[in-house]
Amino acid sequence: MTDALLSMNNVTVRRGMRTVLSKLNLQVSSGQVILFNGTNGEGKSTIIETATGLIPLESGSVHHHGELLIDKSGKAGKPKHPFGLTLQADGCMGSQRMEEHLLTAMDLTGSRIEMDSMLERYNLKHRKHDLIAQLSGGQRRKVAMLAGLIPGFTSSDPRLIFLDEPGSGLDQASRVSLIEDIHYLRGKGHALLIASHNKEFEECATHQYNSDGLVEIGHGPSPTITRENERLIPAKTSIALRTGIVTNNRTMSTLAYNGVAGFLTLGILLALVEPTKLDTGTIQRSGLILSSAFAAGLVGDNMIQLLHEHRSLAWWRAHKQGIPSSYIHGAVLGFALTLLTIFAMDLTISWELPLIGSFLTTSTMFLVRMFDLTSARLARPRAAFTRILTPILILPFALLVQWITDSNLI
Amino acid sequence: MSKRGAEGILLLGFLGIGLTLGLALLKAPSVSINAFESPDAQRIFYWHVPAAWAAFIAFGFLFVGSAMWFFKRSNLGWRMHVAGAEAGLATGLMTVWSGMVWGAAEWGVPWDWTDVRLNTFGLLTFLALFLVLGRQSQPDGVETRDTFSTFGLYGFVLVPITYVATRLWQIRHPGPVVGGGDGGSLAGEMAVILFIGAISFTIFIIGHILMSMRITSLEQRLERIQKSMDKV
Repeated sequence: MTDALLSMNNVTVRRGMRTVLSKLNLQVSSGQVILFNGTNGEGKSTIIETATGLIPLESGSVHHHGELLIDKSGKAGKPKHPFGLTLQADGCMGSQRMEEHLLTAMDLTGSRIEMDSMLERYNLKHRKHDLIAQLSGGQRRKVAMLAGLIPGFTSSDPRLIFLDEPGSGLDQASRVSLIEDIHYLRGKGHALLIASHNKEFEECATHQYNSDGLVEIGHGPSPTITRENERLIPAKTSIALRTGIVTNNRTMSTLAYNGVAGFLTLGILLALVEPTKLDTGTIQRSGLILSSAFAAGLVGDNMIQLLHEHRSLAWWRAHKQGIPSSYIHGAVLGFALTLLTIFAMDLTISWELPLIGSFLTTSTMFLVRMFDLTSARLARPRAAFTRILTPILILPFALLVQWITDSNLI
Repeated sequence: MSKRGAEGILLLGFLGIGLTLGLALLKAPSVSINAFESPDAQRIFYWHVPAAWAAFIAFGFLFVGSAMWFFKRSNLGWRMHVAGAEAGLATGLMTVWSGMVWGAAEWGVPWDWTDVRLNTFGLLTFLALFLVLGRQSQPDGVETRDTFSTFGLYGFVLVPITYVATRLWQIRHPGPVVGGGDGGSLAGEMAVILFIGAISFTIFIIGHILMSMRITSLEQRLERIQKSMDKV
């Protein structure tokens, strides 16, 4: 079993009310290209997503390079060997630049390469600095497909590469380049799993998987494609944190959503209450100071909404190296809102209260984000009313306000 | 159980609740004006406490059902989860509403955000609301069932916290009236009416849960029939 790059043992998976995979066994070794070309609804995408640990198992287990990735109990290990993944829905955020997404895919593998030659092959170089949202559907598909191939380009050790409908929406020239790349990656010893109806992929596949199981494709010797070895550049770390900061700086989404909620709360409270008339040491006074920071946190982490675009959240989850967040911006916002409230109330400036406000916004945002992430597997996650659960945060807020009042911090 | 059995139990529960309300308003002895700010409003107690008792039964059902679905993939467990959430929402709202009326009369405020018992019970009701509305927003399937069962399992943590809240952090809400030690016991007519209330609400919640489970079962049957018709 340890020779196989991918082992799916006795895997059963249900989606909706249907059992899509039943006791599936699949072993994939180095240098194999497996084509899943069954009919619609036969479970091609389900196999790809199950093999990457995205779908919980009813039975069985999935191993990468002999190491457990996920089993029936839901016990999921962090993959020790990076893999490539192209989801059918692309899995890239519209608010990222093309270059950033590809660099992210490289950083997830632990090393970077010069990307210009790769982009030239797919006629994308001139779009390198564009936002993914500005690309056409076909161009976005090429970016998603390249992000999936990248672990193969950056590594000389065998890697698993999962491609779900990689040729869909691609022009003829790009499909030719893709098939050439698949030959090249197979030649390097990587294993590729491709879900596609496109007959062209039969040319580069070594095996075909359909309702009869795994069948070897008996075509002649595949072309050997050699290229100059890519010069490896060290990758950057803290991938999810950096992506969160860069995306937030660009979209200003934390300011636009959380910030506006905080400012509105502050404005309404100041319009209704005359702060100077509130007695020192009262719970109302402490509550007024922290309300805007709390309201800002209750909005949640807007990064999750951005990540729902093109199933980017699923792409990040599969790689298990963290999910971008807005915590840094939330912390700064909570600090600024509390400081602003202190100014508005004409109180003596202290650093303790803005720091508490910063913690309050971030921790509230964290908990609301947890609700959103827990419901992310639903068919309609945005229709799940998770905000009904936010009152759970009012009691801790009330106790915090009580503690501040009792501690004479104001 | 016959098809009309659940309806019969539910009707019996409603009658018992009506009787409890009548006895509370007309027969229950008045309490001391020294012990309560608003002695007349105290009569809500005979509705409020049994409703909370029934809500705890419903939340217990919700937890057991969630666990049965999550760990055993039991369809019966899912029906129990749905029934527990719906019954918990109904009785939770009865408890919260009656408590707010009583609180407004007794304390001068309907709600206190710093009282642990009020808030944890309110949250259980919000959880039930989330589970009912959330489930209705999603197509049925393992993803939906797994997600809401997870919330049901985690949410149950609030039940023991709510139960012990008045023992550990008594702020506004009174301590337990049954099994709460020397200071919290009832006697005579008050205990009888409360007992009738508890029995009535228990019958009501059993009827509600059975009805809800039957409706879910019929919904699932309808879906199976529709799916088989899709294939034709």
